[in-house]
Amino acid sequence: MLKSIYVTPLNLLKSASTVQQQVRTTFILKRKYDPPLHKTNEKPRRMRAKHFIYELVEDTLVKKRPNMQVVLKTFVEGVGDKGDVVSMKPHFVYNKLLLPGLAAYNTPENVAKYAKTEAEKSAVKHSSAYAQRTVNMLESIVLAVVMNKDEPWVLEPWHIKASLRKAGFHCREECITLPKERIEGPDLKKENKDFYCTITINKLEQAKLKCRLHHWSTDPSERLPYVLEHWKMESEPLLNVGLPEKSPETTQ
Amino acid sequence: MQSILNSMRTLALRQSTGDAIRRLHLSAVNEAARKGTREKARKKKVKVEVKKVGFIPHNQRNKKINVKRADKHVDDSWKQVPKDDCYVGRYYRWPVYSVAEAIQCHRETHHPSMYNVPTAPLNVDIELNMQGEKATRFVDNFQRMAMIPHKFEHGEERKIIVFTKGNNEIVEAREAGASLVGGVELIKDITSGELLLSDYQYIIAHPNILPELVALRGLMKRKFPNPKSETLGANLAEMIVKFSNGISYSAAKDEYQQNFGLITASVGTLDMDEQKLEENIKFLLQDVNSMRPKREGRFITRVLLKSPPSSEQLKIDPFVYVPEMWEKSSAKVKKEEAKKQEEPTEAKEAVAAAN
Repeated sequence: MLKSIYVTPLNLLKSASTVQQQVRTTFILKRKYDPPLHKTNEKPRRMRAKHFIYELVEDTLVKKRPNMQVVLKTFVEGVGDKGDVVSMKPHFVYNKLLLPGLAAYNTPENVAKYAKTEAEKSAVKHSSAYAQRTVNMLESIVLAVVMNKDEPWVLEPWHIKASLRKAGFHCREECITLPKERIEGPDLKKENKDFYCTITINKLEQAKLKCRLHHWSTDPSERLPYVLEHWKMESEPLLNVGLPEKSPETTQ
Repeated sequence: MQSILNSMRTLALRQSTGDAIRRLHLSAVNEAARKGTREKARKKKVKVEVKKVGFIPHNQRNKKINVKRADKHVDDSWKQVPKDDCYVGRYYRWPVYSVAEAIQCHRETHHPSMYNVPTAPLNVDIELNMQGEKATRFVDNFQRMAMIPHKFEHGEERKIIVFTKGNNEIVEAREAGASLVGGVELIKDITSGELLLSDYQYIIAHPNILPELVALRGLMKRKFPNPKSETLGANLAEMIVKFSNGISYSAAKDEYQQNFGLITASVGTLDMDEQKLEENIKFLLQDVNSMRPKREGRFITRVLLKSPPSSEQLKIDPFVYVPEMWEKSSAKVKKEEAKKQEEPTEAKEAVAAAN
């Protein structure tokens, strides 16, 4: 009776896989003092204590490991698409790709197994490895759109393009979709009000970009008082301005 | 008897060992030094006074010590080249614009609907690798005047005094825009003190007046006309135009990084024609490149276009206008000839690129 109870845990203990892992305990050493030479056909001379003093040449534990190649099982943001063979640092590969099951080791079988099928190729979900990151970053910022306080203007895509460039985002004019309502100025009622525009990356991914209008005057005495870190403040949406229309590609 | 002998032997042995004797204080080894000697020694000792240093505000500390500074030569070639049509700049290499594109970008931000400064000056920042022919030698700071084909309002007062003997040349110089033209009588005025040379920034002379001009060498000092700085020559009109319209720029080495030099110069205003601005930039770059040391590698490392009040800096490729590397084999004369031949073709290419 007792025996039967203890069988399973014992078996469990036994079945615990003894993974043969390479233990990196190799140290390359060099003798500090060379042992004396000996004559041919004679016994080597006895080495003294000082001949056992070593200097460290290399510790293989802290040596930089070469990159590892793996096959991606799915699309991974910032890495690549399904079926791609990518070369990354081994720790990144192990912790972020192999352990979560996003990739498999680069073997011919795995490459064949995880290659993209025709159906998957036609249904493109991601245009590039970094497009999603750009979308995330665009959606996390509040873009300051600085317009003139004295001259009349109507908001156009190139205004957003120039504002994005000032904020460190490079973008083509075709990618920007403004809300269909006209945004005109100068109008101090619109100061510090939000509106949204859509950025389409590689004609595929779409990001909703939050923009905030500010008025700026060329004459320093006419300028509005400086607001520190306006993007942390709460603000209201621009009246009568809705979201930009969705492009036909996403509605399909 | 035996015991006496034994004791004598021990005595004899003890005397032989110096150690035991010293313990017995038999000699004068450890006696005190003379009073005078001690005082002398005390006087010799210099008292080291430890000065207490109070708190020094961070902005007043000596900046040259223990500060690790980042290399001013920025190299982003390890970064990726963007493939998407919209990307986050900081993860990728700086975009390299053509001059026309960069000017267009600046015009966008300076448009009346945004900054409303369409006549803002267009500044060029030229970064130089000031290393000389040896690793420990550096190119000296230099100040030059670049001749440009399209003049603009540079906002500086430049007064030019011209010395020449010939009557035709005097007329020619006046037409070209010199503030004061004269011959021997002008030299007399200066020596008598009726005219002050310090009122004039630039001094130009024709070779025919040189023997008389030597009298003014002491007054002019470094400004004395010489062909190297192109202030002495037969073609007066060209020199005057150059000095009145040219771009005056100076290359300064960084205080902490000797191999980093920077030139900041204005090449025109944003409302000027793009091609004219491009040609001005080209002539400026060629003038800067004439100061290149005879060594391998780049001299001009990076060129940025700026325009206040915007803080944007747009990188352009200078090697469209000047050779990137130094040609070792070609002699200087050959180079100049080649330059003259290349110029028209380059101009054509530039025009084609702009179109």
